[in-house]
Amino acid sequence: MEINKISEEKQKNILLKVLEVLKTMASRPSGFIGLCILVFHILLAFLSPYLAPYDYKAIDPTLMLQAPSSEYWFGTDSLGRDVFTRTIMGGRTALTITFFGSLIALLWGGLLGIFCGLVGGKIDDVVMRIVDAFLSIPWILAMLLIVSLLGTSIEVLIPALGFFYGKGIVRVARAATHDVIAKDFIISARARGHSNMSIIWNEIIPNVRDAILVEGAMRWSWMLLGFSSLSFLGFGVSPPTPDWGLMISNARGLMSFAYWAVIAPIVGLSSLIIGINLTADAFAKALGIDRSTKAPV
Amino acid sequence: MKNIIKLISVLLISLSVSFSSANASNGVFKLSHDLGFGKDTNLDAITKGRLFQVVIMTQNRLVRKNLKGVTSAELATDWSGNADATEWTFNLRKGVKFHDGSDFDAEDVKYSLMRVKDPDIGSPAKKSMSSVTDIEVVDSHTVKMKLNTSFADFPLLLTDYRLRMIPSGSGDTIGKTGIGTGPFIVEKFDAEGTTILKANPNYWEGAPKVAEVHVIAIPDGEARVQALLTGQIDMNRYVPFTQKKIFDGNSKFNVSVIPTGNWRGMVMRTDTAPFDNPKVRKAVRLAVDRQELVDLVMGGAATVACDTPVAPSDQYRLNMKCPQDIKKAKKLLKEAGYPNGIEMVIHVSTKEPTWPTIGEVLQQQFAKAGIKAEVKMTPSKSYWKETWMKKAVSMTRWNERPADSILHEAYHSGAKWNESFYKSASFDKNLADARGELNFNKRKKAYQNAQKTLWEEAGTMIPYHVSKLVVTSSRVKNLDEIEFFSIRWHTLSVD
Repeated sequence: MEINKISEEKQKNILLKVLEVLKTMASRPSGFIGLCILVFHILLAFLSPYLAPYDYKAIDPTLMLQAPSSEYWFGTDSLGRDVFTRTIMGGRTALTITFFGSLIALLWGGLLGIFCGLVGGKIDDVVMRIVDAFLSIPWILAMLLIVSLLGTSIEVLIPALGFFYGKGIVRVARAATHDVIAKDFIISARARGHSNMSIIWNEIIPNVRDAILVEGAMRWSWMLLGFSSLSFLGFGVSPPTPDWGLMISNARGLMSFAYWAVIAPIVGLSSLIIGINLTADAFAKALGIDRSTKAPV
Repeated sequence: MKNIIKLISVLLISLSVSFSSANASNGVFKLSHDLGFGKDTNLDAITKGRLFQVVIMTQNRLVRKNLKGVTSAELATDWSGNADATEWTFNLRKGVKFHDGSDFDAEDVKYSLMRVKDPDIGSPAKKSMSSVTDIEVVDSHTVKMKLNTSFADFPLLLTDYRLRMIPSGSGDTIGKTGIGTGPFIVEKFDAEGTTILKANPNYWEGAPKVAEVHVIAIPDGEARVQALLTGQIDMNRYVPFTQKKIFDGNSKFNVSVIPTGNWRGMVMRTDTAPFDNPKVRKAVRLAVDRQELVDLVMGGAATVACDTPVAPSDQYRLNMKCPQDIKKAKKLLKEAGYPNGIEMVIHVSTKEPTWPTIGEVLQQQFAKAGIKAEVKMTPSKSYWKETWMKKAVSMTRWNERPADSILHEAYHSGAKWNESFYKSASFDKNLADARGELNFNKRKKAYQNAQKTLWEEAGTMIPYHVSKLVVTSSRVKNLDEIEFFSIRWHTLSVD
């Protein structure tokens, strides 16, 4: 009974903290705008199948490249498909893949960085040199290699993106851990004979969590841009699934006379990236993180 | 009086200077190639990696098509066959020199054509020359070609764009030098960068009007269009019709639409399940609405084909109708043991800008027949090496060839570029019968029977022959409005 009470109390505290952070974020104009854009895109991703006026894959030679009208708000593309329908559905796959990709990046990057920061020595040296080596490989080349060999399914893209965007998080988590391990409570935990795992879980994570979360939020927007670049090159989602990167790629050659086919996905993609960036910035400020040093202040 | 003489002298000198400068080659003409064969790209016309954009300007054939598409003289001045068309005598043009200064003669013809049959070279054009058993040098400018069968259309076969004349014994170096008798001389060969050609002042048809030609490697189709828009190149013969509006009415460009025998297609490997079953292949072909593809992909500028590779203007073309028939497609799939349809991955690349769009449209059309298709992008740079003839379903494109050449080269059981790995004894027999038949009507029937067989069981789906949208910079003048291989490059000029 007592334990349940403590647990309820803890959950209540977390909820209160989340609400407080959100309130602080929304109190700044940039944070408010960022949050609104992000929430709008997330809602759109969930509701677009019910809002779409036309079938996103229906081709029709008689409707090729129609200019925006009351019937087709954003016009039609080179295969006669409704651009509005494809635009509102275009963020679903990208959001899903990059959200889970970011989670994977946060998990492995964060945990490995904390572990290296804590144990130090040769293990830290070896692991960090491997991370440096991976950081020197252009991610787009590595991704192209992976999707060429393994295909472009979600099962391939999510872990691959998660791996390549997690490398940077390793460094941030390690730096944040270095700041924490010199503190008295870590020394005291060591003196009490706690294992490394116990110290990581109970002492370090609560103190570096915010810095890693903010870094993860920023990585999300980079990953979104990266994933759209892959789609632009034809290595993201497969047709006919609507995707902003693919839509921009297909319509870029028509830009001079059918601008509507390319403007809508560009606005969709750029607004989502701006929304995530503004939200991540506001999140960092609300938590008291200075992103210029990427370490707790 | 002295002044008058002086004046006349000055006038005469000025006239001669302006006359000579008017006839001199000047300006640079720039075009692109897609680096289709990567590092294997070379200047040996009979190999797989031949860079034909260069070869067609540096080397000549014996026979070519004139501006009306009729077989006409190039390095051969005239020819005649014996009574049963098994021996053909060609008289050669005199006074023609190669770029290295040597004279062109009958030995060069024998060497150039017989090396096509060399198994060590493994030329894709080998099948075209399979009927030639020997070439006899009658005298320095006469050759007699002996065939193993009657072949009434033999001179037509020699219009193949790869059968170019090179100096005798130059086989080991031709891939880099590109030496021929053509209007341009290779100055610098850089397959992955810019290849530079200089005008050949001694060209037998007259010195070219342009001083240099730059052939630039640009693998991506969209990048080639952008290169044309920004003035990096002067000509693009692969502009998608969806982009025609960009150039229409723009005074900086000239736009022309040229019907051709070039075709695009989707290849199903006949040695790979489920496409090893002819009923499945026929079902896939029946599921295609070809007119819709023509309208959506080519903006209407193409001629519907019923899986025949023979050009619409070719005398042996089989014209038939092949509307989409979903009901029959489903029935065939059921008979083949696939009542719930089949799944396939269509491999595309931007090597040919229309391939991804064709893939998307096919995906929707196939869905109606229960064929679930995924469109998968592959790297354009390595497409011909890693995807084509490797994956079960891939896209293809071919340039126009005479009926006999294309039917042999893409479908004959022993052909190197038999891309669908199609093997049919009756098809091969029809081709052999056609070659040996002196009666035109009977020969035509044999070629058309071969095409009927393709409609029933071939592995390549050919929805249309493209009309080519050729866009040139407005500074380009006198470019013949015909297919690529018949252009007289020496007459072209730039402002």
